Amino acid sequence: MKWQVLIDGHAVEVDPQHLEAVKEVEPGVYSVLLEGRSFEVRTIGAQNGLSVETGGRRFTVEVRDPRNASRQSRAATGSGRQRISAPMPGKVVRLLIREGDTVDIGQGLIVVEAMKMQNEMKASRAGRVVEVCVRDGDTVTAGDTLVVLE
Amino acid sequence: MFRKVLIANRGEIAVRVIRALRELNIESVAVFSDVDRTALHVRMADEAEHIGPAPSSESYLRIDRILEAAKKHGADAIHPGYGFLSENADFAAACEAAGIVFIGPTPDSIRRLGSKTAARILAKEAHVPTVPGSEEPAKDIEAARRLARELVYPVLLKASAGGGGKGMRRVDEESELEAAIREASSEAERSFRNSEIYIEKLIDKPRHIEIQIAGDQHGNLVHLGERECSLQRRHQKIVEECPSPLITTHPEMRVAMGEAALRIGRAVGYSSLGTVEFLADVQGNFYFLEVNTRLQVEHPVTELVTGYDLVRLQLQIAAGDKLPFKQEDIRWRGSALECRICAEDPENNFFPSPGEIVQLREPSGPGVRLDSGVYPGWTVPIDYDPLLAKLVVWDENRDATIRRMLRALNEYSIAGVETNVAFFREIMDDPLFRKGWLDTGFVSDFFGRRKPKSMPSEELELAAGLAAAAHSKNGHSKNGQPATRNQKLETSNWLADGRGSLLR
Repeated sequence: MKWQVLIDGHAVEVDPQHLEAVKEVEPGVYSVLLEGRSFEVRTIGAQNGLSVETGGRRFTVEVRDPRNASRQSRAATGSGRQRISAPMPGKVVRLLIREGDTVDIGQGLIVVEAMKMQNEMKASRAGRVVEVCVRDGDTVTAGDTLVVLE
Repeated sequence: MFRKVLIANRGEIAVRVIRALRELNIESVAVFSDVDRTALHVRMADEAEHIGPAPSSESYLRIDRILEAAKKHGADAIHPGYGFLSENADFAAACEAAGIVFIGPTPDSIRRLGSKTAARILAKEAHVPTVPGSEEPAKDIEAARRLARELVYPVLLKASAGGGGKGMRRVDEESELEAAIREASSEAERSFRNSEIYIEKLIDKPRHIEIQIAGDQHGNLVHLGERECSLQRRHQKIVEECPSPLITTHPEMRVAMGEAALRIGRAVGYSSLGTVEFLADVQGNFYFLEVNTRLQVEHPVTELVTGYDLVRLQLQIAAGDKLPFKQEDIRWRGSALECRICAEDPENNFFPSPGEIVQLREPSGPGVRLDSGVYPGWTVPIDYDPLLAKLVVWDENRDATIRRMLRALNEYSIAGVETNVAFFREIMDDPLFRKGWLDTGFVSDFFGRRKPKSMPSEELELAAGLAAAAHSKNGHSKNGQPATRNQKLETSNWLADGRGSLLR
């Protein structure tokens, strides 16, 4: 039975017999020989699934093993609420909005400082601020929700 | 020569200095903040001292703690690296007062060259061209109009307390002037609590070219040629090279700029390494910008083309040695190029990306030098500059050097944090970069003309798919790491903690 691998959303069929062409040479690093052509593929853990790097390119990959075909259902999105989350760890240096404020698309919401640079998080659409989850001076880690818009 | 030197810095530059010290049989003392206990410079140094919490204002910028560490370890000199306290005249003076040699110029030189306005006046007196403009802030709109007309549009408005592009405005014609001044001064007021605005002639498509100088304490001063640093993001350099492609076509510029830099150095009796920065236009005119009274990030570029070790030279000068060569001995051979490898995301406005480096493959081979401050398993802290390493290559000519850089970048793989490695691969392939048509707007222009990525070949996708399938078959958890990894880390943290309490 073939495996289906989604590479940046594009489905590629993988025959388990071809796995003989793959050798793990270092932890997470694979040498692949395809009809005499040599590829080095590095697998990297990412926040959303597995990412692999080869030939100077990076792909997001999802492996669908036919043995456990049950698909994970995605968490419902687009419910009208939008969470603005921290893309990286840092420190909140300034809040530009308050709960209840209406914001326009592109309006600055919050300033986070990391690595000596201040970065303004902007609203990706218009809406109303329903929750501000952080305070001035808070330290945040990647993925923390900062502001919820509606 | 010194017996023991303390390095008041961190990251790749601390490692660079430790290497120079070791080659001279000088002992090294590292200093570190809370988050840098396991940093590479601490691992490599002979001795190390904790100097405070993560914020640099409480550690790497604390003159008292650094001097205390130097005394405790018996260091006879301090190397400041770049950034932090490297251009702080008070720090240099405090070292002197404590009987410890500051490896750099005198406090007086730092003071006289450190203020942009004082340095500009000094440059004029030394007959070095400066960007035409006002010496005093514009008093009123009438005076500003008169001056802008004299300078000929386009002109540039600059905040007198400025930096980082804040309060800067380009003005192309007189009708825009009044509104632009209003905007620029209110922005300057907000950013620096100082609304004063200068007017300068706008240099169109400027190139950033700088001259390396070196002087000893016996009155000898030489220049070691130029570095072109026109590729910048957030007003910070990311690619540097020697020779400058502009100077390759205008060789007389190296002589003229070198002499101008020497006149500025002589005016203050400069000793140690220093860099005189200029803006140059397409016609080959150049204008003084500022002096950096320290070792520069991009110094390896000069080292590769001249063959001199600048950090060793800096140590020898500080120890009182005479310059071991004369101006006429200096030769420039081949071409060198540096890429600053940073933990940041070029696809997201160069947003910083600190975190753990989970995998690392470093380039090597002919003509490749890597000055790195990181290792696999190291967590890049959020508290400092995102520079991880400098990849520097040398070859016979610029074309060969660019091809070699591309080869080295293709060997380079850093996982766990976002980096600009893939972005540099694209830059090396860019036709305008290859032609050497550079200016300080290059990076933002590049995003406008960038080629969309070609589709990956079927073979490449198949190879990626096979490796991913093998990886998940090996029972790796979804995040790509074997399940045992975190457990191992935890165990070792517990061990380290237990050991620490035993030693207390």
